[in-house]
Amino acid sequence: MKKEISESRIVFIGICVVMMATSIFIFTKSLSQERSSISNELFAKKVSGTEAVFPDIAQEKEVFALAGKAKLLGKQSTYSSSERTLSNFYKRRAYPGAPPKIPHEVQPDMVGGNNCLTCHDNGGYVAKFSAYTPVTPHPGMENCRQCHVPETTDALFQETDWNTFDPPEIGHSALHGSPPPIPHSLQLRGNCLACHGGAAAVREIRSSHPERINCRQCHVYMK
Amino acid sequence: MGNIKRRKFLKKTAAASAFSATSGLYPGIALSNWKASDSLTEEIQWNKTPCRFCGVGCGLLVATSNGRAVAVKGDPESSVNKGLCCVKGYHTVQALYGKDRLTKAQVRKNGQMVEVPIEEALDLVARKMQETIKEHGKNAVAMYGSGQWTIPDGYVASKFMKGAIGTNNLEANARLCMASAVTGFLTSFGSDEPMGCYEDINHADAFVLWGNNMAEMHPVLYSRILDQRLKKKHIKIIDLTTRTTRTSYADDKSILFKPQTDLAIANAICYEIIKNGWTNDQFIKDHCSFKTGKTNIGYGLEEKFKFSDQATSSSYAEFKKLLNDYTPEKVEKLSGVSAEDIRYLASIYGDPKTKVMSLWCMGFNQHTRGTWINNLVYNIHLLTGKISTPGNSPFSLTGQPSACGTVREVGTLTDRLPHGVVMNEKDRQFAAKIWGVPVENIPDKPSNHTVEMFRSLDRGEIRFMWIQVTNPMVTMPKLNRYRKACEKEGRFIVVSDIYPTPTTAVADVILPSAMWIEREGMFGNSERRTQHFNQLVPPPGDAISDAWQIIEVARRMGFEKLFPWKEENHIEEIWKEYRKHHAGAKHEMAPYEELKKRPGIQWPYVNGKETKWRFNTKYDPATKGYDPKGKESFDFYGKKDHRAWIWFRPYEPPPEIPDKEYPFWLNTGRVIEHWHSGSMTRRIPILHKAVPNSYVELHPADAKEQGIYNGDPVKLTSRRGTLTLPASIDQRGRPVRGQVFVPFFDENYLINELTLDAYCPISKQPDYKKCAVKIEKG
Repeated sequence: MKKEISESRIVFIGICVVMMATSIFIFTKSLSQERSSISNELFAKKVSGTEAVFPDIAQEKEVFALAGKAKLLGKQSTYSSSERTLSNFYKRRAYPGAPPKIPHEVQPDMVGGNNCLTCHDNGGYVAKFSAYTPVTPHPGMENCRQCHVPETTDALFQETDWNTFDPPEIGHSALHGSPPPIPHSLQLRGNCLACHGGAAAVREIRSSHPERINCRQCHVYMK
Repeated sequence: MGNIKRRKFLKKTAAASAFSATSGLYPGIALSNWKASDSLTEEIQWNKTPCRFCGVGCGLLVATSNGRAVAVKGDPESSVNKGLCCVKGYHTVQALYGKDRLTKAQVRKNGQMVEVPIEEALDLVARKMQETIKEHGKNAVAMYGSGQWTIPDGYVASKFMKGAIGTNNLEANARLCMASAVTGFLTSFGSDEPMGCYEDINHADAFVLWGNNMAEMHPVLYSRILDQRLKKKHIKIIDLTTRTTRTSYADDKSILFKPQTDLAIANAICYEIIKNGWTNDQFIKDHCSFKTGKTNIGYGLEEKFKFSDQATSSSYAEFKKLLNDYTPEKVEKLSGVSAEDIRYLASIYGDPKTKVMSLWCMGFNQHTRGTWINNLVYNIHLLTGKISTPGNSPFSLTGQPSACGTVREVGTLTDRLPHGVVMNEKDRQFAAKIWGVPVENIPDKPSNHTVEMFRSLDRGEIRFMWIQVTNPMVTMPKLNRYRKACEKEGRFIVVSDIYPTPTTAVADVILPSAMWIEREGMFGNSERRTQHFNQLVPPPGDAISDAWQIIEVARRMGFEKLFPWKEENHIEEIWKEYRKHHAGAKHEMAPYEELKKRPGIQWPYVNGKETKWRFNTKYDPATKGYDPKGKESFDFYGKKDHRAWIWFRPYEPPPEIPDKEYPFWLNTGRVIEHWHSGSMTRRIPILHKAVPNSYVELHPADAKEQGIYNGDPVKLTSRRGTLTLPASIDQRGRPVRGQVFVPFFDENYLINELTLDAYCPISKQPDYKKCAVKIEKG
């Protein structure tokens, strides 16, 4: 009995040590990451002579892409009946991080052309769907249907054995009450407020403080 | 003892606890509750690989857990796609997990396919090959591979067929997609594959897409172009096309032309450039030769059709004179493109301040004058000196992930060797030496190109065919004839594949293959980039790689000395041997160790440096006068005269033109969601759900005239076959009046039963874009 207790204490100490080490690792890693991305940018300028490299992946400026709207997003009232939920959010993706399918009908190319951004660049309430339009985190990508496709049938050609992993759990903070880190890759998703701000955001991952626009001051991404 | 145990236990527990503390926070490190695994200790591993699908060659990071691929993201380290993919790329890994995956070998016994141990099937393949050779000769066996073969697969196939057995009956489906690009490069420059690279996109001011629906077919590169336009407002994208597509809508200008008249348009652009004095005369004087070739060269429709071109030296003056038939006004009548638009195009190419990138793929290559139209676009770039410099780039895009790497570089075509051609004695000696075979083993004449190979099978000259990683019973033109050929008595067909297809349906032996990341390999993309991938997950059941299948059969036939490699490092060993064929500044391949480390490396890879722009003395170490710090000059060393050849090539009509009986053009192609014959993409839920079946696109006015509404069944008939499929009016694309378009991915609607097996006499590549059909409301 006694031995077991002492063992679990040691385990607990083990956890603490590992967690401390992890947080030091996180901190230094994120610093060095930022440094390297800055120097990479400068390098890109020098080499190609063009202003930016394609595509703007997780560049710091993306965080502020919707900063001008932050106050407005904070004030948007939500209607629980039309809120997006996390389970629906993941149902539209083949795996966490996959580009979601288009869940509504779209006009054919030859009729409507490529006008997704009319709604998905700015967001706002759409009476037709009784919902706020989700805002794209990467409006600079114009060929939307390169990655997002609608469904025209439910049937499969052949059954599949596909399996993926569970989405990351939310609300994990390193310390009690501390800001949770970013649990997903920032590739094409560096514009935090697009998904986390305002009434269009999925309820479970909606920020309570979109007006604090420097998101990555407190929330860090772990590679 | 107790202590050690205890320490181990503590270590384990601490690790597990740390794991659960971090789980959920950090993807890429560890997550909780895998569906694929009930073990908490499983981690996600992200590994680089090129995408399985197209020739763009996007770098992917594939997540694996517990022996399964579970997610994908774009590799930000890859200079090709810089982190972005297309919908196929993001869902590639799902192609591994269709429930009907072939996991056991099958052989035909009394007309029925029955599962057998793979050793038994390999024994049978080897025995059948030996028997066929004994009875009918070496040229009675053939292998038909693919631009989706990895480089080691193709290399082993070449060594096996040409070096060991001693027949040139080796072809690959890239004959159907890239052959005209190859002959275009060889005739104009004497060296295959683009001089430029994708980085040209970052430097060009104008993009001219020749018959290329890039938004759907090369979406990631197209997004790079759109991205440039967003950042630099002056950029223009011009779409020259026979069908209005998604690309047309995104471009600044779309110009519609009549099928086959691209030949005349290109000549008219040259005419205007010369007339207005927009030529770069110094460049022409220093770096170009003028040639003419044969005319009225035929279409390859006759059995055993033979043709070889003859280059005749010509002059700038004669070239100018020959172009007089191609004034914008004359070409307007032929092509339907206004003289004003032709002049506009010429002005873009002609403006010395505008860097121009021309891009093309199947519109040029699947063309009965495919070699010619490739030559003609080079002419425009050569006359203006807009070539081999950043942003000035005639760029031939590739369809398949390793059409360049495996088919063009390894040379898995009847006339080719890994280095050079079978017709050249020195090239044969060079290959024979590396292979360790007598030079007499390699026949000095090409035997059958793809169409002729299937015709030979039909005629009975070929009795045995081994098909790997391709689905010709969906993709061959004039399909009815070639399916019957496969089904004939006395023909033995072996098919290596991963799913049941219309091709496995005609097989006598089916070998289950390990695909893509289920084995180690390399692909080579459109911009001369070799991309290595490790085996990331185990193959299912008895499946083994295509290369290893060939090695197993070769050993059974007594060639074990030529294939001595061990299974655990054979890819490395094969690469080391293969690299010898390309030694030297013109074609040097990166070492294995480097390839393993990086997302991809461009050849020529000389002294640890990639060559981005070939023939340019500033960038290409193979050029005479190479000087990275010096003034830019050129050395087109592919040709003996160190010049690029400007060929006069006239307009000649296609073999089958719509008439009273068959009044419509039939054009075939792809959609973004599906890859080739659909055997992989249709098993990816999101892709199938987006485009579940094929259809026929009609122009709305043609549809109205026939009383056809969207979704109505429409019966298409050509001189070769009939097919009824649903109408698609103003959906994904809009053909011009008098033309219909059908995607070929759907095995339930075999549009190639209607297409014509006419081909470019120089490249032997069939034209899938033009034949005559009639339409009736079904």
